[in-house]
Amino acid sequence: MNRSLVTRVAAHPWVLTLVLVALVWIVAGFTLRGFGSWGHLRYLLELSAVIGIVAAGQTLVVIAGGIDLSVGAVMTVSAILLPLLSPADDPTGLAGIGATLAIATGIGILNGAGAAYLRVPPIIMTLAMATFLQGLLIIVAGGSAVSVSNPAVIWLGSARPLGLPAGVILWILVSAATLYALHRTPFGARLMAIGANPIASRLSGLAVDRASVRLYSASGFLAGVAGILLLGMNRQGYAGIGDPYLLSSIAAVVLGGTSILGGRGTYAGTVPGAILLVTSTALITVVNASPGWRSIMFGSLILALLLVSGREARR
Amino acid sequence: MSVARGSLYRTVQRTRNRGLTGLYLLVAALLVAYVSLFPGVLSLAGFSRFTQNWFPLALVTMAQALLMLNGGISLSIGPLVSLGAVIAATTMSGPLGVPGGIVLVAVTGLGVGAVFGTIVALFRLPAIIVTLAGSFIVGGVALLVLPKPGGMVPAWFSDALAGQYPTAFLLLLLVIVGWKVFMATPTGLGLYAAGDNPLGAFRSGVRVERVRIVAFALSGLLTVLAGLFVAAQTGSGDPVIGAPMTLNSIAGAVLGGVGFLGGRGTMRGALAGSLLLAAMINVMFFLGFPPVAQYVAQGLIIVAAVAVPELLSRRQRA
Repeated sequence: MNRSLVTRVAAHPWVLTLVLVALVWIVAGFTLRGFGSWGHLRYLLELSAVIGIVAAGQTLVVIAGGIDLSVGAVMTVSAILLPLLSPADDPTGLAGIGATLAIATGIGILNGAGAAYLRVPPIIMTLAMATFLQGLLIIVAGGSAVSVSNPAVIWLGSARPLGLPAGVILWILVSAATLYALHRTPFGARLMAIGANPIASRLSGLAVDRASVRLYSASGFLAGVAGILLLGMNRQGYAGIGDPYLLSSIAAVVLGGTSILGGRGTYAGTVPGAILLVTSTALITVVNASPGWRSIMFGSLILALLLVSGREARR
Repeated sequence: MSVARGSLYRTVQRTRNRGLTGLYLLVAALLVAYVSLFPGVLSLAGFSRFTQNWFPLALVTMAQALLMLNGGISLSIGPLVSLGAVIAATTMSGPLGVPGGIVLVAVTGLGVGAVFGTIVALFRLPAIIVTLAGSFIVGGVALLVLPKPGGMVPAWFSDALAGQYPTAFLLLLLVIVGWKVFMATPTGLGLYAAGDNPLGAFRSGVRVERVRIVAFALSGLLTVLAGLFVAAQTGSGDPVIGAPMTLNSIAGAVLGGVGFLGGRGTMRGALAGSLLLAAMINVMFFLGFPPVAQYVAQGLIIVAAVAVPELLSRRQRA
């Protein structure tokens, strides 16, 4: 009885992540003053939304056996370009959002084309893209911070329709779409197949190249959305604003039980993974340690969680 | 293909140089351009200066290539360079002195590498994630050792390593000889074998786990030594000085034709790749490129370096 429960949990690593989040929230809620208040939990969810959205694209890429190391740079690009691309005479601000997302998607398409048609390994293609963007951005935007006046973006970062922050609602929508795409569409099935065995997929007549272009464009698009949301919450965009989200997105994916080797995983694990990451970072901040200790605790925490949940099956 | 004229050794070496000809020509062309732009590099001091800029990059590229040949990768190269630098800067002017500082730095590198290697090998976690998490830990420790840039490396030691004599170049030759010796041992050969085909290597008697741990430990050693050198070069320690090294080490190894999946590539290629990168960075610096333009150029060059040989080989097959 007991054993079968353990076996079942082990078969779905993401359940473990969910349980862990619940446990941390309950324990911290009872021991730390103010942790369990609705305002604080809502704040944690809002922070998780940014990681969750960028990690949605990362989840898809990782499941297909790749990795996207350019998401941090794409977020920065979106956050800095949006104010520049928003025409002042547009009262809705949607034009600027559209243009920014088009650019983010375009960057993703370039990543995918490089990986698919030039056969550059994704880790190099996206790393080189990140380096490239980092330089280009400072040349274009001059390296100073820009403030946002786009009404739609400000609304996204501060409004609370139905009592929930708009960012969290956006995250719920993205989650639903990602889960649907991954588990209920041919596209999702193709990603799993490519991740499990790219050669077999190709030989089975699957258009692997086209799928990976679509895949990386989705990742670029979602990183763009996350960048815009981050800009809305921050009100300011600056070089390096997206940098921390690269590692967080990968950590959230892996904590959620998705195999970094591809072929196996679900976005249902990345969601609690992102919340777990934000919660533990918040707890570490509460401890009031020096930046050095904070970094050590963050790294050890990820490593410890990995030892518990992220172990690759023996082959 | 011509039949072996000389010994078997030469034939093997020729095979291993195959595919690197283009890279060698590119490096040679760049060096010629460099010399014609800055003839000063031919003087003893100029040569020393140039090799001093190359040396840390060469070390971290070797550290990365070592792991990639074994089928691993490290994303904690940068923080580990910083850690080596801050340990050197805080201990060498203290009671331990320079020898004690060197030993402490070396032991730290070997130890950190061995721990990463053990986690990767025994717990079967992917190297990319372990070293990603490890980069936070190592970076945090570097901040604890030295929260702000500071510390000191004795001036005579800085002069000896990074003064006007090409000590760095001689040390690099020493490291290369060390690599050659290592490749002649069963563990060294096992490094390639386990990277190419872990199961096959295991069945042939290679102790795959141990080889992996040794690879991580040696890689850690090379990385902290790069940090030690950087500290000597700047005369002090900085807890984030190694940050660009992670990308540069991967770039150097990839430019040098080292594959991600293990067992593909050569250390001489990786060294040539790091030389290419170092010369490129130097040229752009002297031509007055802003540092950001270097990023743009670096991104383009890395993609081109990987894509062009691939496209050429596909055309040949077609």
